[in-house]
Amino acid sequence: MNTQTSTEVRHYLDGMREALADLPAAEVAEIMDDAGAHVTEVADEMGEEFSLAALTDRLGTPRAYADELRVAAGYPAPASPAAEKTEVRSTLLARFALWSLVAGVVMAFSFALTRGDGAELTVVVGLCAAAGALLVFRQHGLLADIARLPEVIALRDALARGERSDLYKAFASLRAFQPVWWVGRALLIAAGGLLMYRPTTGFVLALALAALSLVAGPKARTDRRWLWISLPATGFALGVLLLVLGTLATRFDSYPFGNPAPVTYHQSPPTPGNIYVFDKDGKPLTDVHLYDEDGRPLDAPWYGCQGEDRHDNRFPRPRVVHDEKGCHEVAGVPFTIVMPTAPTTTVPPTPVSPTPGQTTSGQTTTQPSSPSASLSPAPTTVTPTG
Amino acid sequence: MDTSQLLKGVLDLAVLAVLRKEDGYGYDVLRRLRAGGLDGVGDASVYGTLRRLYNAGLLTSYVVPSEEGPHRKYYSLNEPGRARLLDSGKTWKSFAQALDDLLGEGA
Repeated sequence: MNTQTSTEVRHYLDGMREALADLPAAEVAEIMDDAGAHVTEVADEMGEEFSLAALTDRLGTPRAYADELRVAAGYPAPASPAAEKTEVRSTLLARFALWSLVAGVVMAFSFALTRGDGAELTVVVGLCAAAGALLVFRQHGLLADIARLPEVIALRDALARGERSDLYKAFASLRAFQPVWWVGRALLIAAGGLLMYRPTTGFVLALALAALSLVAGPKARTDRRWLWISLPATGFALGVLLLVLGTLATRFDSYPFGNPAPVTYHQSPPTPGNIYVFDKDGKPLTDVHLYDEDGRPLDAPWYGCQGEDRHDNRFPRPRVVHDEKGCHEVAGVPFTIVMPTAPTTTVPPTPVSPTPGQTTSGQTTTQPSSPSASLSPAPTTVTPTG
Repeated sequence: MDTSQLLKGVLDLAVLAVLRKEDGYGYDVLRRLRAGGLDGVGDASVYGTLRRLYNAGLLTSYVVPSEEGPHRKYYSLNEPGRARLLDSGKTWKSFAQALDDLLGEGA
């Protein structure tokens, strides 16, 4: 092969290499090993009759040669620069649609959970998610672009691996209950609207969204575009669900402290929080046990500072005082009384001053035996007769 | 009838067939095909087909330095390639038989 020939052959081979430039470099090297040798051999065979025109006549243009080889080898068609640009754009759009969906779901969840905190951020994310949903519904083929995103492929692989686990199988059996969830979700969304807005336009909006989510559930099974409605709806509904459960749990937890209303566990008449008893001289009695006319103890609950509780009929109870020193229990009577002199006139106990020290807590006039006297003709000993 | 369309479907089989008895480099394969009567086969198609069969694991390759000109990459059938040849050959034979029967005496 003379230098003239080799230069023209090299040009031809360069043209081929250029036409295959989008393929992996290793593959191009392999091809050029084979086909390059072929072109050189064909050129050699031509001998004196060789010219670039003759070579092109025999093998076609470098691009035509490369294209024919590409088809026979099953390589993808060459990407034109215009197509590449569209691809970049569609990848960008696909990524936006996907991540706005993710953000929308998280936002819907936290918005519901926090009863509508961070309104500005919610509006921004909500608009992005809405734009993403609009894109998915309007732009044909965007769903396919999203499915080609590396993050989606990785997620699908992870799910495929998870499909073999028992957990997934258990989860799959729940699919039959999906319609129940769709209805429940719509109810939760409507309830969320009620929780957050009371009956205003927001509530009407929530009702509309609830109806939309009802439609989106079955649709998303066959048309993946509806996931852009269905998933944020699920996020919102779960947020509402957690909020409701959380509120219930808090209420139940704080019951003994926040709501110390006496609860009658037995069928005993309701009793006041505390009862102070005085003898005829106005001396307070301690450790008095109270019974009703049937001999049933007038039991009532009592809660101390440490959270310990008592349920009996012994009065008066120590007072539970909360002040700057914290919680402490104070025994005795917080007031003194003046006993009436005339046995028939009842003078209401006159609160004088909270002087607990004045009381006779050391006394042990205890038993529920007959009080030595009283203002009214009260019954004497109550013997539990039944 | 345009034989290039027919060739597309059977080029794999033809390439495997000409490599059955003897290993060969690209130009060898091309010459054998043409000598066998497949005149219309394109140079680039043969090289492309070799690459595809190689990438599919049906061929192995080795390089032999050449006295004159560039070194040559030889291809040879491996076990999967032989199995494929046997399988595709059977398919082709029954297909050709069926078409023969359809044509009958008419052709």
